[in-house]
Amino acid sequence: MQKKSIKVVFYLLLAFALLLGIAGCAPAAAPVEPEAPAEEPAAPAEVNKFEGVELTLASMTDQYVTAFRVLIPRFTEETGIKITLDELGYVDLYQKLTADFVGKTAQYDLMTVDIVWSGEYATNLYTLPLDDFMARDKAELNLDDIMPVAWTLGEYEGKHWAYPMAGYANVLNYRKDVFKAAGIEPPTTQEELLAAAQQLTKDEMYGIALLGAKGSAVAQDYMAFVQQHGGSILDANGKVALNTAENAEILEFFGELFKYAPPGSTDYWWDQRETAFRSGIVAMMEGWSIARAGYENPEISSVVGLVDVTAAPVSEGMEPKYGFGGWGIGINASSTSLEQEAAWEFIKWLASEEIQKDWVKNDGAPIRRSTLTDPELVAMYPWFPLMLDSFEKGDGDYRPRIPEYSIIQDALGTYVNAFLVGQETAESALQKAQEQVEANTK
Amino acid sequence: MPVQAGIHSIEKSGATLIQTFTQTIIKKFKADPYFWLLLPLLLYIVIIAIYPLFFSFRISLFNYRLTDPNQTQTFVGLENYIRAFKDPTVLISIKNTLVYVVGTVTVELLLGLGLALLFSPETKLAQFVRSFLLIPMALPPLVVGLIWKSLYNADFGVIPYYLKQLGINVGRGPLGELSTAMPAVMLIDVWQWTPLLMIIFLAGLKSLPQEPYEAAYVDGSSRWQSFIYLTLPLMKPTFLIAFLLRTVQSFKVFDTIYSTTAGGPGQATTVLNYHIYTVGLTFFDMGYASALANILLVMVTVLSIIYILVMTRRQL
Amino acid sequence: MYKKRSLPEKIILIILSLLAIAFFLIPIYWLLTTSLKFGRDSFAIPPTWLFFDATLKNFTEVLAQSKTFMYIKNSIIITAGTTFLSLILGVPAGYAIARSKFRFVKNSAYFFLLLLMLPPVAMLIPFYLIMRDLSLIGTYMSLILLNTVFDAAFVVWMMRSYFADVPLEMEEAALVDGASHFNAFLKVALPLSVPGIIASALYTIIYSWNDFLFALMLTSPTTKTIPLGILASFSSVEISWGKMAVMSIFAIIPAVIISLFLNRYFVQGLTAGATKG
Repeated sequence: MQKKSIKVVFYLLLAFALLLGIAGCAPAAAPVEPEAPAEEPAAPAEVNKFEGVELTLASMTDQYVTAFRVLIPRFTEETGIKITLDELGYVDLYQKLTADFVGKTAQYDLMTVDIVWSGEYATNLYTLPLDDFMARDKAELNLDDIMPVAWTLGEYEGKHWAYPMAGYANVLNYRKDVFKAAGIEPPTTQEELLAAAQQLTKDEMYGIALLGAKGSAVAQDYMAFVQQHGGSILDANGKVALNTAENAEILEFFGELFKYAPPGSTDYWWDQRETAFRSGIVAMMEGWSIARAGYENPEISSVVGLVDVTAAPVSEGMEPKYGFGGWGIGINASSTSLEQEAAWEFIKWLASEEIQKDWVKNDGAPIRRSTLTDPELVAMYPWFPLMLDSFEKGDGDYRPRIPEYSIIQDALGTYVNAFLVGQETAESALQKAQEQVEANTK
Repeated sequence: MPVQAGIHSIEKSGATLIQTFTQTIIKKFKADPYFWLLLPLLLYIVIIAIYPLFFSFRISLFNYRLTDPNQTQTFVGLENYIRAFKDPTVLISIKNTLVYVVGTVTVELLLGLGLALLFSPETKLAQFVRSFLLIPMALPPLVVGLIWKSLYNADFGVIPYYLKQLGINVGRGPLGELSTAMPAVMLIDVWQWTPLLMIIFLAGLKSLPQEPYEAAYVDGSSRWQSFIYLTLPLMKPTFLIAFLLRTVQSFKVFDTIYSTTAGGPGQATTVLNYHIYTVGLTFFDMGYASALANILLVMVTVLSIIYILVMTRRQL
Repeated sequence: MYKKRSLPEKIILIILSLLAIAFFLIPIYWLLTTSLKFGRDSFAIPPTWLFFDATLKNFTEVLAQSKTFMYIKNSIIITAGTTFLSLILGVPAGYAIARSKFRFVKNSAYFFLLLLMLPPVAMLIPFYLIMRDLSLIGTYMSLILLNTVFDAAFVVWMMRSYFADVPLEMEEAALVDGASHFNAFLKVALPLSVPGIIASALYTIIYSWNDFLFALMLTSPTTKTIPLGILASFSSVEISWGKMAVMSIFAIIPAVIISLFLNRYFVQGLTAGATKG
């Protein structure tokens, strides 16, 4: 008899332990459950329809994340839709989103979508095509105001898998003071870029800052240079062709540039490259326009007032290319339809003209013509006209937005880095990268 | 008719076999009351761990990519394994894993023994120091990696700074140079786990009997001789435990690599465990990843079987 | 019994000791100072060890973020659940293995050892797929279940050698008096083994608190643990070393407390395993 009661106690304890764990489950599971049914009864105002809806936004930790932090509470106040902001680094963001999509776990309802992911998200049906929403709400959207090139932030084969959110121009940032002291003009061709980098590397100063870290960082930097030299990672038929003689030459050039970059550059991610430029030890840096404002911020920058931007140079004799990049914002295809509707409300709100002004003021990046030409903003950010020009001539397919993009990026990320540290020759690096891409795209 | 009868009788005998089998087992189990205390954990492990492992074996025979919208599973037999052996990255990562394990375990064993000897006296100071030295091994390996990554930073890190002061050319930094990346990462491991070995050896040292030493002293042996001829042999069982513990843990290294080099530069620090993660949880190529995981599993199992054989033969 | 060490010998020993202490403690000191420095100072050259502008700004910023408390809360829940479950499952099992004469039970110890040798990734991949099908990704349960697999195995090994040390006589006395085996376990062996249980608990706490890989794949934005929170302090704008250092300090608090104040139990647990095997 005693034995029995002790056993009972024993199993009660076990059950308690399990309960503890399950009790932990509940709060985590709640936000995913649709609260819709209780709210359905015909509500006059749009606000009531979304009362209590909770969304989760996955945002890249780019500069615009500050804008999100400021704007999201405002949105919640106006609409009652609560949004949890999850900030993730580039590698983590891509991985968590992919896991969320393939697992159909819908942990994220909204997400920032890199321009180059458009093809992948489209083919795999990860995000919701927004065309129906866009057609329905056309009147509110003022679509003509959005810069044409900005549509590449989510468009693929005629449909829109993400909505434009932050447009970037690829520019060359340089130190006015350093160039002046050396008596040279900022470079207008790639060859001049190399020469200037070489010339300006002396006395604790380096010519240029580059991304060399194994992974997406070095892959993107290399691909940018491929574009600027007129090369391509695709062949005439649109198939991946990394191991061409031309690309090998460009890779050698890339390696050459690294000689005039700080020694840790082969480990540089975007933040380290930014830090290098902001701390004043490099003379030039190609980068996205969104970082420009940060150089004027005395809390983080030691080069306030010393920076200027110009268009990123291309090879001698080439047509000028204006690289365009940036991020769109997408809706998870696996979220419930109420969540998707609410998410669309946020997108519309964020992209509206008035909010765009605050978006930009809080370190966001523009997508509308009206924002780029607004007198108040132009006065605050004198490089806007350059950006406007860049956008108008911009090429969003500057890096191919094809479905295999991430696979290409991973392969290049490993082997370009291997080349830079001397583990591979230019040819063998590109050859191995090509092989890896082919193995993974079976 | 005969066929049916035949099948029927086979079924019947099969059923009786199973019946008698389970009955004998139940009888045996009833004889051992302690079995019931073991049962909950056993059941738990079978459900939570063994089932997934079989799942993993099965998946390794398929081509299963989660990124495929239809998530089709196509049977490909041993193709994943063949692919593994032809994949240069896999071979490199196996090599790196062995280098890592052998290197860290050896250094940690030696250093751990040295530290144990150094801090074995029961002085207040030694006790005080010992409790501080426990801290590294209780830290999250992720955090340890991040700390050392900044210490190693080529442009702003503390270590390259002092190395440069000493006139040593740091190049791309300890983690950025091909030749130094692996040793640098191994150093992090040594930093974190040597204290663990120090404790194990301390325990071993404390449990050594005194008489042999006294006898040796009477016979005129020196400190050093006592050490070589008495301490070392007597510490053998402790050595084996420490060796096994660290080796097994070392095969599993992940957080450290993730937070410092992500397998780089190039593939200098890609160990098999990390590569499996890349294949399975960034590319979501589940079939191939499972095959690789099974290969690693075999490697570790072979080692442990060898260990178990050695241990059971020693009649502990 | 040996003659006292000569002075040069002593000096060498002292120098070696100092080197060892420095090697092991300097990185931790670096972490502490970085958490107190302004962003621009954390990688100033030359590095400042003792005199710098100290600030609590990093701490206030990290504590002001509600996310910080969420990470801490999640870590606590998961660690508590794992520890509880591992002990409930592992302690009786360790006892059974230590006491049983049945070959099956005794050899199951090696089975658990094999479990400990598994590369976690090997378990994670199928586990992730199964959890996905059960829609349990992002719940505390999934992480607790997976962590317990390894932690319970460890507990079994520790408790096994611990119970082996507990003399049989008292239990035998109880059995003779008519108590059941289960009662003997509960009322006699268990109270005697409390230090061992504490040691096992400490190990489990550290393992699950420090876990990263499983948390990386099995948590949702609302169930993230502290190690993941640390990663979140990296951004494209700048690496906030100060904030990272503060979060890292939260991550290492259990470790430090255990090492400094509970190290008696900690060490005991290990030594039980080491000397008995």
